[in-house]
Amino acid sequence: MKESRGYKIFKVFNTILMIIVVLLTLYPFLYLVAQSFSSEAAIYSGKVTFFPVDFNIDTYKSIIRQGDFIGYYKNTILYAISGTIISLFGTAILAYPLSKPYLRLNKFFTPFVIFTMYFGGGLIPNFVLVNALGLRNTIWAMLIPGAISTYFVLLMKAFFANLPQELEEAAAIDGMGTFGIFTKIVLPLSKPIMSTMVLFYASGLWGNWFTPFIYFDKKELWPVALYLRQIIYGAQSTNELSAGFEETAGIAASVKSASMVLMALPIICVYPFIQKYFVQGMMLGSVKG
Amino acid sequence: MKLKKVISTLLLAAMVLGIVACGKKGDDKGANTNNAEKQTETNDNKEANTEDSDAKEEEKLDYTFGLNTTFHSDEPITYSMMYSDHEVYPYKEDWRLWSAITERSNVSFDLNLIARADYDDKKSLLINAGEASYIIPKTYDESAFVTGGAVLPVSDWVQYMPNYMNFVETYHMEDDLKTIVKSDGKYYKLPGMWEAPAGTGSEYTLVVRKDIFDAAGVDVTALEKDWNWDDFYNALLKVQQYVGGGVIWSDRWKGDALLNIVGQTYDIPAGWAAGDGMQYDPASDSWYFAETSEDYKAFVTLMSKFIKSGIMDSETFTQEDTVAENKFYTGETLLLGSNRSMLQTYKDKMNETLGEGKYELYSIVIPKAKNNYQIANSRLENGIMIASKALDELGEDGLIKMLRFIDWLWYSDEGKDLVRWGVEGETYTKENGVYKLNPEITYVGLNPGAPKALNVDYGFGNGVFMYGGTQEHAASMLSDDLKEFFERLNSYRDIKPLNPTVVFDEDQQEEMNLIKTPLIDYVKSATLKFITGQADIEKDWDKYVANCEANNSQRYVDMYNETYNSQK
Amino acid sequence: MKGSKKKEQVQLLQGAKTPIMVHIKRYWKLYAFLIIPVVYYILFKYLPMAGNIIAFRKYRAGSNIFGDEWSGLKYFRQFMRDNTFWNAFRNTLTINFTYLLFRFPMTIIFALLLNEVKNVHWKKFVQTVSYLPHFISVVIVCGMVKELLSVNGPINGLIKSLGHEAIPFIQLPEWFLTIFVTSGIWQALGWGTILYLAAMSGINVELYDAAKVDGANRFRQVWHVTIPGILPTITTIMILDIGSIMGSGGVFEKIMMLYNPMTYETADVISTYVYRMGVGSGNYSYATAVGLFEGVIGLILVTSANIISRKLTKQSLW
Repeated sequence: MKESRGYKIFKVFNTILMIIVVLLTLYPFLYLVAQSFSSEAAIYSGKVTFFPVDFNIDTYKSIIRQGDFIGYYKNTILYAISGTIISLFGTAILAYPLSKPYLRLNKFFTPFVIFTMYFGGGLIPNFVLVNALGLRNTIWAMLIPGAISTYFVLLMKAFFANLPQELEEAAAIDGMGTFGIFTKIVLPLSKPIMSTMVLFYASGLWGNWFTPFIYFDKKELWPVALYLRQIIYGAQSTNELSAGFEETAGIAASVKSASMVLMALPIICVYPFIQKYFVQGMMLGSVKG
Repeated sequence: MKLKKVISTLLLAAMVLGIVACGKKGDDKGANTNNAEKQTETNDNKEANTEDSDAKEEEKLDYTFGLNTTFHSDEPITYSMMYSDHEVYPYKEDWRLWSAITERSNVSFDLNLIARADYDDKKSLLINAGEASYIIPKTYDESAFVTGGAVLPVSDWVQYMPNYMNFVETYHMEDDLKTIVKSDGKYYKLPGMWEAPAGTGSEYTLVVRKDIFDAAGVDVTALEKDWNWDDFYNALLKVQQYVGGGVIWSDRWKGDALLNIVGQTYDIPAGWAAGDGMQYDPASDSWYFAETSEDYKAFVTLMSKFIKSGIMDSETFTQEDTVAENKFYTGETLLLGSNRSMLQTYKDKMNETLGEGKYELYSIVIPKAKNNYQIANSRLENGIMIASKALDELGEDGLIKMLRFIDWLWYSDEGKDLVRWGVEGETYTKENGVYKLNPEITYVGLNPGAPKALNVDYGFGNGVFMYGGTQEHAASMLSDDLKEFFERLNSYRDIKPLNPTVVFDEDQQEEMNLIKTPLIDYVKSATLKFITGQADIEKDWDKYVANCEANNSQRYVDMYNETYNSQK
Repeated sequence: MKGSKKKEQVQLLQGAKTPIMVHIKRYWKLYAFLIIPVVYYILFKYLPMAGNIIAFRKYRAGSNIFGDEWSGLKYFRQFMRDNTFWNAFRNTLTINFTYLLFRFPMTIIFALLLNEVKNVHWKKFVQTVSYLPHFISVVIVCGMVKELLSVNGPINGLIKSLGHEAIPFIQLPEWFLTIFVTSGIWQALGWGTILYLAAMSGINVELYDAAKVDGANRFRQVWHVTIPGILPTITTIMILDIGSIMGSGGVFEKIMMLYNPMTYETADVISTYVYRMGVGSGNYSYATAVGLFEGVIGLILVTSANIISRKLTKQSLW
């Protein structure tokens, strides 16, 4: 393949741009990593810039020892995996029929779904509902009430609508049922959007501190995100003049940065595996009638 | 067109659904509220006949209680409570605190654990949804829950709490308690009560690097007794010159504590204490809007001098606390806002950065302007709300029993020792009234470097339980330099008398809030602009006053005085 | 646009004018997919909406969750007459619109450029790294922004070395928008590309081959294959983003941490103002009234965007 001169210049420009993006996004993160391995004194005297100063892993040790860190992590993994499965299922079965322009009732159902993006019930009614359903202080409070995101439904719908209809029609002519078409034709073709949704839902569940904060009263159910929020925010919102006799000293900077690293790491590690699904073109002869 | 139809139909349907659902549940709930009201009425009757109910008390109770008596329930009992979990000493199930409480009282807690940063939000949600725990401690502002009926008017019940009542009588807390009374004449939380304001005197102050001040020829110990802000300013100029110019002051808490401290000396509410900007004038026995007074002008003029001269940086009002701290730790700045617990943190950190003995920190007594008062004059702190649910579910006798437990744990000397110091012999010893923490245990400035921490490892010294008490009690936990500071402070400065109270009803509050928020937003914004030099005090002052008036400051003052006069 | 023609044919074949019951009978299997989601939406999204009634009723914390007595339009009047509210309203629109104006095209361009990176490992690396900001908590992001922009920070260091006076960025109202938008793009750029990249990998490779056969160079391929291929995704996101211009809940936390009284005039948005009005102290009726107002405007915006998009690109949400 010959490349035009214009394209070559473009490629050089593009590479430089990508390097800039990498530097801008990687540096702050590396800075946090460096902080997390540095001594507290080095951080507040401003010595840490790129490499850890007084390298140590005490911070990580103390985080993992404190509270029930391992337990929180287990909860997070449980919530992220089961929640993603439920969400993905709910989103797909809603988005699929909505993506069919010939379904006349979609004229009702699509606005029905979109309407909820602009009007919510507010915190208290939602809480009362979840409590009345007996979901409070159970794993289901984390998984069910927020299972389907309308935003993602609409994105998935856009993707489904763009799939070539010929394949589905051909399968229908071959006598395949609706459900069969959905699972055997549509879903395999939708790996890119499905993996995207996995990423979005999983990272959303992973970082979700608010739902557990609202619905869980016991620390056994806490996910890591809530624990980390407690560490990072601390007295952030407390501005009472009289804090009483309590010790108000905050949590060390190295602990905060280590928490961030522990939070982001798993998603970063998992990401490359998901990524492969949307780097290659999926259509390539994947289904033949 | 069709779409519009669909949407409007949908909207209509939703509305109808909403109203129907609302009407139904509304009725149910309404009935409940009525019941609750009836119950409170019966309570009122009961109080009227306290004498009679004494007779009832002589009937066998299944628990012991009383002044200087340990509360002990015959049967094990559990009370639900919200718990504000502190990230520095996260909740542990096996803390000695819990077992010690249960051993003595036979009471255990069913805790709703909430991280401290979000405590108020969740507390509010749970109360709103009718899911509150019985005991709701660490409540700073209870006013939102007063009219809804979810929280007990606890003032109706305090007569059953002997330790509480004893403290009120011994230290004459009646006027202080008036400050939390609501428009129905009742109060809705059991406050922490101190013998002296803030326990031992106003804890918020500035800490200075005494070694450098001394070297610059500024003897703060001699000056602080009677100095005013000009003396202070000149002293700082001297220090600034000595270190070769540049910023020597970069404060924390976004300047809110500082503005509060300085403003108070000028008789104006500012910073954290800005509130609604109203100030009481004893001479005319009326209220005025202090933020447009000449005092206010003098106050912002002083503050702007610190910035203009380069002594203080304007980042003070926007930076994060850690940034301010770090500048101080490295010796870049020489003074910083401080309170009882921060002082120790500063020392710990500076021992690492500068080295022990290479610096000296000194908490100063704040300079004067218009008065000789300390900042704090309230002897109350946060308090405990009791959910009305407790009355419904436990019944009157059950509620009284719970209140007596609370009375013991939070208000008796025994309870205070327990939640503060732990178990005698195990975590501390007491000789001749002097508390001594065991050598292997550390707590804010006591036994620094010991392997165990009183709060982290045992749960004692816990902010949820530890509040109020005598001056002696409060001072017992102070490190030596703090004790010395409070002695100076209390001998140099007086306590400001309490303002008279004005109580507004629900509708007034709603209307006033609509004026207050935009007005105080504007004041805060203008204040900082005056101080940092974005606005010119001489040139823009009249415009500022006019804008405050355009924001209805006068209407606010009128409402205040009308209500005040009608309540006198 | 072969596909849409086909669809029309199919529709013709199936007879768009068949009676509704016949239609449902024919497609009941597809409609059956909707049962679980619709129940879910009614239960968890529509039922709690009944709580919005408190915008018209006096609400007291801990009393009746549907309010105690009717208050009419009182709470709407309260904010409609408030100049500070309208200032926050303007800021909400300005901030969200400016942010959208920059972020939206930049994300698409970045996705397209990323798609042109041919070395698979390098591409994966850039992608992964560009997502990192998404995982850094807002507190820490805001802390970094403030440090970067402080009077003694690196940016002012540069300004000073060029002989100018330091600028206290965080305290100047005129800088707020720039700071907010720039840091927002830094946070969201990489993460935002995911959807477009997914859409790009959904494009039939045969289309590229056909374009190559026709002699199209790389730029033409992008123009004639890639962009049309991701157009449904672009329009979907565009319409939804326009609908959310009125929402200020998503930016609440960040603004709370970046603004200060000196920058209220340009930084204060509806959610932060409502917060200061004392939702914490229980003014739920007021907050709900504001929420309904935001919702109505959002709905109008999304509907208009949808209609315009249908006219211009033949793509629409419904």
